[in-house]
Amino acid sequence: MGTEFIALLGLAGLSSAFAFVALVLAAWMAWRIVEKAGLPGWTGLGAILLTLTGLGTIVPVILLWIFAFMRWPRDTAFSTSARAPAAPGPAAGSAGHAAPAAPSALPPPPKALADGRGWTLTGKLGDGQAVSLSFDASASSWMLTGAAASQPTDLSVPDPSVGQPHARLMVAGARLGLADLGTAGGTFIDGARLLPEHGPRDITAVRAIRLGGVELALSRV
Amino acid sequence: MPDTFYHLLAWALGFGSVVLLMLAIGHVLVALIVIIPTWRICVRAGFAGAWSLLHLIPVIGSLVVMAILAFGDWPNGEATSSSG
Repeated sequence: MGTEFIALLGLAGLSSAFAFVALVLAAWMAWRIVEKAGLPGWTGLGAILLTLTGLGTIVPVILLWIFAFMRWPRDTAFSTSARAPAAPGPAAGSAGHAAPAAPSALPPPPKALADGRGWTLTGKLGDGQAVSLSFDASASSWMLTGAAASQPTDLSVPDPSVGQPHARLMVAGARLGLADLGTAGGTFIDGARLLPEHGPRDITAVRAIRLGGVELALSRV
Repeated sequence: MPDTFYHLLAWALGFGSVVLLMLAIGHVLVALIVIIPTWRICVRAGFAGAWSLLHLIPVIGSLVVMAILAFGDWPNGEATSSSG
């Protein structure tokens, strides 16, 4: 009799301990998630702690739906920076030629995010040689070319299958775009062909691009 | 007697299967209530929406999805901590 009672108590204790740890973890993670979306962290914490009250789980589920479909402050910051056009960069090789004046109605994108991280493209050339290219938001446009880099914004991929130039990378805040320039080797995003008529494509969430025969892994640094 | 036993056994197995099926369907329906918004959150963060299907795993699944969102770098970018 006593043994069964102690076993039951132990089981209840273990369940309670697991529930407590899960609750604390969930509250902490909810804090971080809403903070990443740009909301005050305590709103996520509060939503989880509501499960302890008589409101049960209904209110947190409703809050989850609201959070999923509401406008996040992060998106507002993004739309501010992404609305600025991914302008065609200054013409490469036009040394001494003034850059075309940007339309006065469209100012350059403000740095809405203090996200100083850049990107790297790493891969192997056709001859087995490794290539690693780094770039960041210090320039709004980067040129991927098979030729040697002649401009500070040139990213050289010395492979015969890569055009000269081959494609353009556009940086707007924390977003990254890619436009094909119509070379024979082709540009591929996660295996899908990108054509010049597609225009710039958002590749912020993309893991790999291919220029001609060169596969490049894209990552944040 | 054996016929009665097998009859009862078949009835019990059939009834148990129906109960299990109903429980599974109920679990999926309840999970859908959180899978749908979580799918959207994952996509907006830049992750694959399929991560939200982890909600189908009882007890631990929801914690795993939250951990991915909370501790992973959002490919679509995050707000700065100063904004919060």
